Amino acid sequence: MAGLKKTKGFWRTLVVERFRSKRAAVWSLRLLYGFVFIALFGDFLANEKPLYCKLEGKVYFPVLLQYGEALGLYQWKPPLVKPRWRELPYEAVVFPPIPYSATTRDIKNTHFAHPFRGQRVESMRYWHWMGTDQLGRDVAAGLIAGARIALLVGLGAMAIASFIGILLGTMAGYLGDQGLKTTWLRVMLNAGGLYLGIFYGFISRSFQISEANAAGGAPLAIFTGLLWLIFFLALANGLSFLLEKVFRLSKKVRIPVDLLVMRSLEIMESIPALLLILVLAALIRKPSIWYVMVIIGLVGWTSIAQFVRAEMLKVRQQTYIEAAQAMGLRPWRIMLRHALPNALSPVLILIAFGVASTVLAEATLSFLGIGIGPEEVSWGKLLSEARSNFNAWWLAVFPGIAIFATVLIFNLLGESLSDSLDPGRDA
Amino acid sequence: MAGYLIKRLLIFVPTLVVISWITFGLSLMTPGDPVMGLCAQEGILMEGEYERCARQYGYDLPPFYLSLSPAAFPDTLHRIQPGYRRDMVRKLVAQTGNWEEITVYDQQLQKLLSVAGSLPDSLDRQKKIDLKQTLQELRGAYKHSQIDFQIGRLDSMASQTAFLPFLGEGASDLKTAWENVKSKATPKKLRIPDLKWYGAENRYHRWMAGLVTGDFGFSFQDKRPVGSKLGPALYWTLVLNLSAFALALLLAIPIGVHSALRKGSRLDRFFTVFLFGLYSLPRFWVATILVVFFTSATYAAWMNWFPSVGLGEVEAGASWAERFWVRAGHLLLPVLCQTYGLLAFFARQMRGSMLEVIGREYIQTARAKGLSETRVVWKHAFRNALFPIITLLASLFPASIAGSVVLEVIFSIPGMGFLTYQAIFSQDWPVVFSVLILGALLTMIGIWVSDLLYGLADPRVRLGGGPKT
Repeated sequence: MAGLKKTKGFWRTLVVERFRSKRAAVWSLRLLYGFVFIALFGDFLANEKPLYCKLEGKVYFPVLLQYGEALGLYQWKPPLVKPRWRELPYEAVVFPPIPYSATTRDIKNTHFAHPFRGQRVESMRYWHWMGTDQLGRDVAAGLIAGARIALLVGLGAMAIASFIGILLGTMAGYLGDQGLKTTWLRVMLNAGGLYLGIFYGFISRSFQISEANAAGGAPLAIFTGLLWLIFFLALANGLSFLLEKVFRLSKKVRIPVDLLVMRSLEIMESIPALLLILVLAALIRKPSIWYVMVIIGLVGWTSIAQFVRAEMLKVRQQTYIEAAQAMGLRPWRIMLRHALPNALSPVLILIAFGVASTVLAEATLSFLGIGIGPEEVSWGKLLSEARSNFNAWWLAVFPGIAIFATVLIFNLLGESLSDSLDPGRDA
Repeated sequence: MAGYLIKRLLIFVPTLVVISWITFGLSLMTPGDPVMGLCAQEGILMEGEYERCARQYGYDLPPFYLSLSPAAFPDTLHRIQPGYRRDMVRKLVAQTGNWEEITVYDQQLQKLLSVAGSLPDSLDRQKKIDLKQTLQELRGAYKHSQIDFQIGRLDSMASQTAFLPFLGEGASDLKTAWENVKSKATPKKLRIPDLKWYGAENRYHRWMAGLVTGDFGFSFQDKRPVGSKLGPALYWTLVLNLSAFALALLLAIPIGVHSALRKGSRLDRFFTVFLFGLYSLPRFWVATILVVFFTSATYAAWMNWFPSVGLGEVEAGASWAERFWVRAGHLLLPVLCQTYGLLAFFARQMRGSMLEVIGREYIQTARAKGLSETRVVWKHAFRNALFPIITLLASLFPASIAGSVVLEVIFSIPGMGFLTYQAIFSQDWPVVFSVLILGALLTMIGIWVSDLLYGLADPRVRLGGGPKT
């Protein structure tokens, strides 16, 4: 093995080079970096607090302190307790490029201040470059805050969807209807574990969960319930492992994994996704963008599962899988270590397109006023304000451009990826 | 082929059953009391009226065939009326697990409430109001500290000489009942799983039986049957979507075919980029822009090109043509918005599918035979390239109906989407869940039709079975 030089793989040699040779692809990637930058460092770009200031001889970095406060490491001390940040007697101060937070109400510029004229500001430094909304909130700051929400929902939802889709798709494709064999005992014990897990995790705790929901702590309560469920399933499998050894059970039954996955996929596909998301988001008592992310993720896995399943069906026929089986490797190991990685790279295409449609779905939901909390600022919500006042064209134009650009970037990425991974597709 | 389609149709039955479970399960999670929603006028309902209404709409029945709950809960919980009383009992049982004691407490409280309702006029009015308020608080209270506090208040009120003859006994009974609830707690019963079977007399069964016969229940908003609201709404949604589909296909076919035939030409490159941009353009943004700039004279008198949102006013005696023009004028913008997204999608698919067909050998053969180019393109290539588009249509149609929600909201078109939107905001759940299940049904029909079309269009497809030997 010593003489073997590490060669560049499929990815480095072909895909990346092909990707780099396309202008649209490269530009979409650059714009994506910019977008991610804005989303990550939005607090430093638009904030009512100064980046740096000197007060009574002491130096502060209020934007950084804001992170400290959010993490519970810091508490505001005088003179910084709920101040009017603009009016403090600074000895030196540096404000962010946009000296407003997304939720700051500029009381002098309420009722849709025009971006080009008629603003009441001390100097151009405090000009609202994209105007304000009815409450006097800066639109540019809103766009920056919205970028974070769009990216969070887009990536978060697709992470959930990819996890479910890849897991189910791999199992369905690789195991098929014949591949998973197990004893009756294990099946029965798992059914029992599921029954007990659901009972102790959710039904007997339903009072506690509803109390937590009223107090705004539903995620933790549901997570605890899930832990109970996992515990009982683990218990059932551990027990069946022991019992199988003790009684030397060898009679196996086949679990039709593919059939089960395909049926649940059909069920999910049959319910119109947007309607389901609308209804689910409307059922939540204390709306928040995090729920929207989870809901879109839980609903959106079907296309990925279908795709991975089809890829796995192809991979399963390859000789290296046969070789791995002949070597006596365990099926789970072959599935996860050898088959899955080879079916995975095309999933990136689906993920890129998926992020685009998730951003669109989130914007649509907040445009309709469903699922977004009253304190949260998103592009769709800003855009919807234009409907109440036709004069405020800036509320119709700027957030829309942001949504369009984001959707376009991810669609372009998906398109370029699919060209790079499969150049013969469109030849 | 027929066998396959029948098999698919049979598979739909379990799928639909599971979807109905999901929908029904979600409907159980909705906030608010459905009996109040169905019968109350402006939130008010008489005491006896509640029981009658609950019985009429089956809300005195258990929700499902079976239930999994802790053994502490009785199998007759659903019979307690009205809903807030049932909620209180349920929440109390969930904490202490002693159903019998809680029933006694609940009945004592009810007795006191009726006593408080018929106190003589000679008593101090303000004190009577305070008393009633305390009892109402107790009706809704389920946290122990809260109940302790209110019972203490009640005790001191009942011990006043004026109230003592009426309330003394009841208040002390209630107090003992409450002490019993606390001292005889059986939390162990909350940890024992208990599967209860109710049989076919349940709400889900009734709901499903209604759905099968086309009865979707009643709207909370105006107490009309949901079916009578869905009909007209479906009509407008279909008008919007069918016109958009027709228009999109009409434009997409020539664009797609032309681009495929002259692949790489300037026009093809233009269309590729243009359609790609169009595809990424959010419909609700374009719609908002159109509404903001072009349906009123806000910016300039000459920009008021289109009528404002809604369907427009038509006089009662208007002729057919008049009616058509008013409607068409109002539908033009939403149809355009719905069309362009579909157009971008169809044209891309058409181009891809046409490109694939053109490279085939039988097209070369057709050319070699000396057939005219028109004949080769339209008779041989186009017909084969159309299969994937047709199958796409059938499955895309239901999705596009769901997707037109936001357009219907922006343009105030009283279609399914607008109906759902309004129903969600007014918590009119029967309408919401009827739309959901109807949408699922339409989608499944769409999938089935696309299977059918695929089989019909391409006789080589032997669906379901392997190659015949």
